Amino acid sequence: MTVAEESTATASGAERPAEPSRFSLSHPKSRMAWIRPSVWLPLVVMLAIIAALWEYGARKLPYLLPSLPKIGSSLRTNLGYYVHNALVTLGEATAGLAMGFAAAFVLAVLTSELPLVRRAVMPIAVVLNVTPLVAIAPALVVAFGFGPMPKLIITGLICFFPILINTATGLRSVPRQVLQVYRTMDASRIELLWHLRIPHALPFLFAALRIVFPLSIIGAVVAEMSASGSTRGLGTAISVASSMNQLPVVYASIFVLALMGVLLLLAVTLVERRALHWHDSTQD
Amino acid sequence: MDGSVKVPGTPALELRSVRRAYGFGPSATVALDDVSLTVRPGSFVSLIGPSGCGKSTLLRLVAGLEQPDRGDVRVHGVTPAEACAAKMIGLVPQTPALLPWMSVLRNVTLPQKINRGAAKRRGRIAGFTERESAPAAPDMRELLVKAGLGEALHKLPAQLSGGMRQRVAIVRAFGLRPDMLVMDEPFSALDEFTRESLQDQLLDLWDELKTTVLFVTHSVSEAVRLSDTVVVMAPKPGRIVESIEVDLPRPRGERLFGEHRFHEYEDLIRDRLRRAWHSDAA
Repeated sequence: MTVAEESTATASGAERPAEPSRFSLSHPKSRMAWIRPSVWLPLVVMLAIIAALWEYGARKLPYLLPSLPKIGSSLRTNLGYYVHNALVTLGEATAGLAMGFAAAFVLAVLTSELPLVRRAVMPIAVVLNVTPLVAIAPALVVAFGFGPMPKLIITGLICFFPILINTATGLRSVPRQVLQVYRTMDASRIELLWHLRIPHALPFLFAALRIVFPLSIIGAVVAEMSASGSTRGLGTAISVASSMNQLPVVYASIFVLALMGVLLLLAVTLVERRALHWHDSTQD
Repeated sequence: MDGSVKVPGTPALELRSVRRAYGFGPSATVALDDVSLTVRPGSFVSLIGPSGCGKSTLLRLVAGLEQPDRGDVRVHGVTPAEACAAKMIGLVPQTPALLPWMSVLRNVTLPQKINRGAAKRRGRIAGFTERESAPAAPDMRELLVKAGLGEALHKLPAQLSGGMRQRVAIVRAFGLRPDMLVMDEPFSALDEFTRESLQDQLLDLWDELKTTVLFVTHSVSEAVRLSDTVVVMAPKPGRIVESIEVDLPRPRGERLFGEHRFHEYEDLIRDRLRRAWHSDAA
């Protein structure tokens, strides 16, 4: 046993020392970093400059740009209206995303397991990806009406491709020697998929989700704007308000949309940190 | 060609005039040509030779990862594919090949969840009566502690040193209770000190679990230190030049490495390697 102990000492001493601190330290550190002015000051100064320029522009061109206080008061007095419409858009975005995710994930597994499916599906997926969805949207509205259906389809479609490509790449990213070890145990395809391929695809999948969550909001807004008969959602709110020249409402809606996108992105990043704590990309 | 001792019963490994070439026609590279080898159960056999001599190809054939173009490969009397299906083969590749999201303990216990029907198949393989037909799953914690990884059970591979990671890979392979342990230059990426301590641990585990080991290496002293038989190979085409029995007492401790007879074996193997190299150049 002395040999074992000795070798532990030489192994961890002579080479790279184990770093238990990496996990416990990095998080509080990155959180505390916001206290330092060197971190937050540049952003605050930049925002102040933009706000000043904005106010200057609003003073000069009152018909093009509403002043910030006006936008703020619109937000405050009609908070319920914005929240309601934001939730509608958010619901469309996440439901469409879930549909697109499910379809893309299943297809990714099928294409990586069956070359026949890959050859049949991939060209169509690529064509779908390069077709501008803004152009498809009106046709879908004609086909499915002003209800949620065309919105879900458009959002699903916009999210579909990044998830498909990334997941398919991830499923094939298992290192060869790892596969060889489990092939000598005669692991079945299902076992390889479940124990090796899907976990290896997770970092790729999360990279796709970081792209796709903001995209889902774009999809929902585009769909709402294309269906001019819709009554709800922030996209609808923007097109109605701009046709009536209510600029503060337009900009307040845009602000809410941006905020929503940021919150979604934050949520994905938090989940990713939890799920991929072992992966290089989550360790700064 | 076959220098190993004739043994009664089924050999652990038997290769009969195996040929393996990559590519077709005159441009084909012959990785192995007319290779025959017999290995008795429980012995430690090293394959040594310059790169391109086909030692890794031979190993992949035994592990069932490739098929020979001609000839026959038998592991305990059955084909490598059947041996894999019965989980009789444990592979330790050049890199540890651990799953980065799993703790050390989960990494070495995952094979137990793979191919659960293997134990039954193992029992059915003929010629198995001499040994226990379906070895019980060993206590992986105990095995890890024995390998000096007791402190690291719940750590992730990224938190370990290179030597520790390779040790986890070895424990994972031993955890299968394989009849044939196949190792492809497992220590080549490690520094001298780590390498020596891992060699000792490998011999300890091998001594305890009684399995046949096929070990590919570049290092002459590693081959002499570990093996019962050193198989010297030569390139173009890949072939076996000579099998050298290493008749040194075990356990082989520090003292032995300073002794004359240890160096004699080293010199003998170096000489054979050099000759194979020169006959090739001529």
